Amino acid sequence: MILIKCPYCGERDQSEFANGGEAHVIRPKNPESLSDKDWGEYVFYRNNPKGIFYERWVHSHGCKKWFNAVRNTSTDQILKVYKVNEKRPDLSDFENTLKSPSGEPLVGSGNFAVKK
Amino acid sequence: MSAINNNCEYISKKQIEITFDGKTYKAYEGDTIASALLRNNIRLVGRSFKYHRPRGIYTCGIEEPNALVQIISEHNEPNTRATIKRVYDGIEITSQNRWPSLTYDFGAINNILSPIFSAGFYYKTFMGPKGFWKNLYEPLIRRSAGLGKPPKNFRSKSTHQYHNNDVVIIGAGLSGLAAAKKFINTKYKVLLIEQDSYLGGVLKNSNKVKTINDLTPRKWISETEKLILNSKNITILKNTLVTTYNFTNHLIALEDKFAGKKIELNKSELTLHKIRTSNTIIANGHIERFISFRNNDLPGVMLASSFEKYIHRYGVVPEKEPVIFTNNSSSLSLLKKLISLGCKPNAYVDSRKKDNIETEIKKILKDNEISFFSDAEIEGCDGNKKVETITIRQGKSFKKLQSSMLCVSGGYNPDIHLFTQSKGLVKWDKNILSFKPDTPFQKTITLGSTSGNYNFKKLCDEINEKLSIFKTKKVSLDINLNVPNKFSITELWETKKKNNSNWSKSFVDLHNDVTTKDLKQAITEGFDRIEHLKRYTTNSMGTDQGKISSINSLAIVSKMLKKEISEVGTTTYRPPYAPLSFAAIAGRSTYEFYDPERKTSIHSWHLKNNAVFENVGQWKRPWYFKASENETMHQAVQRESKMLRENAGILDGSTLGKIEIKGRDALEFMNLMYTNAFSKMKPMTSRYAMMLGEDGMIKDDGIICKISDQHFIATTTSSGAPKVLADMEEYLQTEWPHLQVFLNSITEQFSTFNISGPKTREIMMKVFPDIDFSNDAFPFMTFKNFDYKKTKIRIMRASFTGELGYEIYVPPKFGLELWQEIFSCGKEYNLIPYGTETMHLLRAEKGYIVIGQETDGTVTPIDLNYNWMIGKNKKDFIGKRSLTRPDTSREDRKQLVGLLPINKKDIIEEGQHIVELNELPKKITNPIKYLGHVSSGYHSPNLNHSIGLAMIKGGKNLFGQKFFVTATGKTKNIPVEIVNPVFIDPENKRLTS
Repeated sequence: MILIKCPYCGERDQSEFANGGEAHVIRPKNPESLSDKDWGEYVFYRNNPKGIFYERWVHSHGCKKWFNAVRNTSTDQILKVYKVNEKRPDLSDFENTLKSPSGEPLVGSGNFAVKK
Repeated sequence: MSAINNNCEYISKKQIEITFDGKTYKAYEGDTIASALLRNNIRLVGRSFKYHRPRGIYTCGIEEPNALVQIISEHNEPNTRATIKRVYDGIEITSQNRWPSLTYDFGAINNILSPIFSAGFYYKTFMGPKGFWKNLYEPLIRRSAGLGKPPKNFRSKSTHQYHNNDVVIIGAGLSGLAAAKKFINTKYKVLLIEQDSYLGGVLKNSNKVKTINDLTPRKWISETEKLILNSKNITILKNTLVTTYNFTNHLIALEDKFAGKKIELNKSELTLHKIRTSNTIIANGHIERFISFRNNDLPGVMLASSFEKYIHRYGVVPEKEPVIFTNNSSSLSLLKKLISLGCKPNAYVDSRKKDNIETEIKKILKDNEISFFSDAEIEGCDGNKKVETITIRQGKSFKKLQSSMLCVSGGYNPDIHLFTQSKGLVKWDKNILSFKPDTPFQKTITLGSTSGNYNFKKLCDEINEKLSIFKTKKVSLDINLNVPNKFSITELWETKKKNNSNWSKSFVDLHNDVTTKDLKQAITEGFDRIEHLKRYTTNSMGTDQGKISSINSLAIVSKMLKKEISEVGTTTYRPPYAPLSFAAIAGRSTYEFYDPERKTSIHSWHLKNNAVFENVGQWKRPWYFKASENETMHQAVQRESKMLRENAGILDGSTLGKIEIKGRDALEFMNLMYTNAFSKMKPMTSRYAMMLGEDGMIKDDGIICKISDQHFIATTTSSGAPKVLADMEEYLQTEWPHLQVFLNSITEQFSTFNISGPKTREIMMKVFPDIDFSNDAFPFMTFKNFDYKKTKIRIMRASFTGELGYEIYVPPKFGLELWQEIFSCGKEYNLIPYGTETMHLLRAEKGYIVIGQETDGTVTPIDLNYNWMIGKNKKDFIGKRSLTRPDTSREDRKQLVGLLPINKKDIIEEGQHIVELNELPKKITNPIKYLGHVSSGYHSPNLNHSIGLAMIKGGKNLFGQKFFVTATGKTKNIPVEIVNPVFIDPENKRLTS
């Protein structure tokens, strides 16, 4: 169970939170003006990268506030949390800290627990 | 063969009695099951998992692969490791996996049949004929392969405890205690966790350390413990095993509250500690590994350090004259100890070359005239259910010895389990021939033998250096040893067999009965990646997780593959470190405490009136009311449904979700959330409304009451309420933060009664004589607030049954009182209470849908022909755009229709398929064209035949056509007509009467 820092309440157990998928996917202002394809992209398509990911979380068993987080999906490290109305941090802020738990390659998985 | 007792400060002099397989034995307080059995010269304690081979006690701790027993006196607790379970007076123990008895086990025939049980046998054997797996093979295998039997009539009383610490030290051995000493009286909040009931680790379990800071190990331990106990910032947890090391330094540890004591039934026997820490210090030592040789599983073979631990920790010398077989320098301490006790090892077999063996060892062996074999190995051992003969190979010559015990040491593995769970990287160390921690992933420090440091003299520097990140004082350790300071080892994983036979096996995993031959076979068959090999052979997948053997198998595999061990790699270490009981994980959250039960204010009345309850989310709702003891559910529902349409009925609808929406922009918000248009709706009116997902599919429905443009009350389905509120909150916070709207759940602020039926108006007029219930004054889908006694109530004209109906909202405090008042007034009109099943039947007669029954997340309002609910002129609402996607506007989508049986006696069953065939073929070879499914099916007492609602492809255009519905257990299908899904009162005369 990871520890997540709610921007309103502070550090709490993961069990108090719910994940809301990719962040910064904005609901189109005029859905009617969108083509079927573009609307379909908004409704159904989300990124799911291995590595740095902007995602939404809600402190559902706490203050019930939504916020955004930058998480390294391969290590589960939450690198930054910020409020919904705050500007998203730049990717370059994190790239240096990206590391894989077992030194595994960025694509695919496998058990590379042994250091070569 | 015989064991002797040794003086030991950890074992009390008090004699107790224990029962093993029905026989009573004497033991001492403080004994484990294993030490007690060894004291009584019992070597055979169990049968192996697959081959049912006789097995004994192999180790003296958590790593035990063989000695698993069942504790009859503790709810039949199975798979208990005899090597750690402490006994008490009257404990009742049995062996496992044997029939009819441990000595004569029928399943041992598997040993003879073993060629068919080789690697991957589950995958290769038992392939056919069809049905044999489920009915014959699996039950047979489950009975004969295995472990103990599950506990009976068991209720967990375990508790969970939470900790937040600066530092957690795992293991209170030499390194753990020295580290803890540094934190005495500092600002750090420290937790010291020890799995045993005494501190000291290697100092307590072995003869390896002679003195420490000029004190005996025992004295040093007790002085250190005293200092730690006096320090307010350090807490010690004994009998506690850390099983899990999660992300963000989250540890799970299991404490046995009744170690060595009889469980008290009213007290918690286990505590699961959930620990959050800033830094973790792992000092949980090392685990000795074995060596594979012929029949290395016979009772009597034991790890050398475990033998030593039995002498030191439990005061029992399992055998006076064992043979010692080693490939390293550490067995010297055992040798010295045995000699000091006046015991003389039968032989000392060291696989190292004579020149590499320490002079001290050679001198002791010579002085005591002990047979010494250098550069030699054990070829194997033989005997009937125990070690009798041991064959030693030295060069080309073989020598047979008579002995009943063989102590084996194949070297030591740093216990890296927790470190790798924490996602740290490990590295192969050629000097100790094992993996050791390298790069930590979290704030993890490993100390002592866990870190691969087997040099006692370097321990002090290591601790001071690694803990220099903390503001602590230096410790000093001056250690005098009984073993060579420099650890020396030679590679030896498996010894060569003289000849082959099916009886003689060289095991690499004792728990799962995996032999070295299985490893070879798996590689030959192409499973040469270690993770594949593990799963194919089940190597190291037992309850011991291969603690004494997994490195051996890696080494053997790497030799076969002609690769370096570091290239082969390790398999992934996963939590838990050792099995932990489900009872501990469940804690108190069992049975009625598993999930909260929500009850309405009328619950006590329902109980008195023979309600049968249904779970709706966490709510308990009356399903139906039994009019008499013998009334069946079908009879009750038919009665309730008929009575309601003739007279009147009342339903406790308090469980319906209610959300209050208030604020400047409430109207705009509601227009966005729901399909309906609320702008032109008059205040104090209500409307049936639907909420969609962005994909256009129906999520929830309910009645929306508009008090004003700034104030709405939305009702939701009983189980959907939390989700609807959460979704509303999400949109408000993330998409439309500019809207000034506040949401509040008021589900529990009101008891809600739905009263309906032709006589409802009369009843209401009697209950509320001051209110005008006439159609003009109180039309359908309006609501009003009234004073009632000392409180305020709201009454809404609405109905889910199709009859004239009202919904009454009353504060729960007055709920029961009003409910009873309604009943006393309704008596003369034959008012009945009804449950959810009748509600479902009545609404189906009227063609009203139920979320989750007619809809399943793939249904749009258009599919239900509810186009009138869609505010087409609204610019936007959730899901609107999706309703015109090509897929949602397809003509052949499944659409809601009604089903009438052509033969009125036929029963339309819920969940059945709608097909074109009047009869199904006896043997179905090709797929049968499927048109849709029955979503609701009831026998209507008011029409006196079966009715159905169905979702059928292109159903809207099929009215009047004939199709067939499948039926349970029959090939003959039921002919049905597709009709408009409103069976009663299509003109809404009753509804608006």
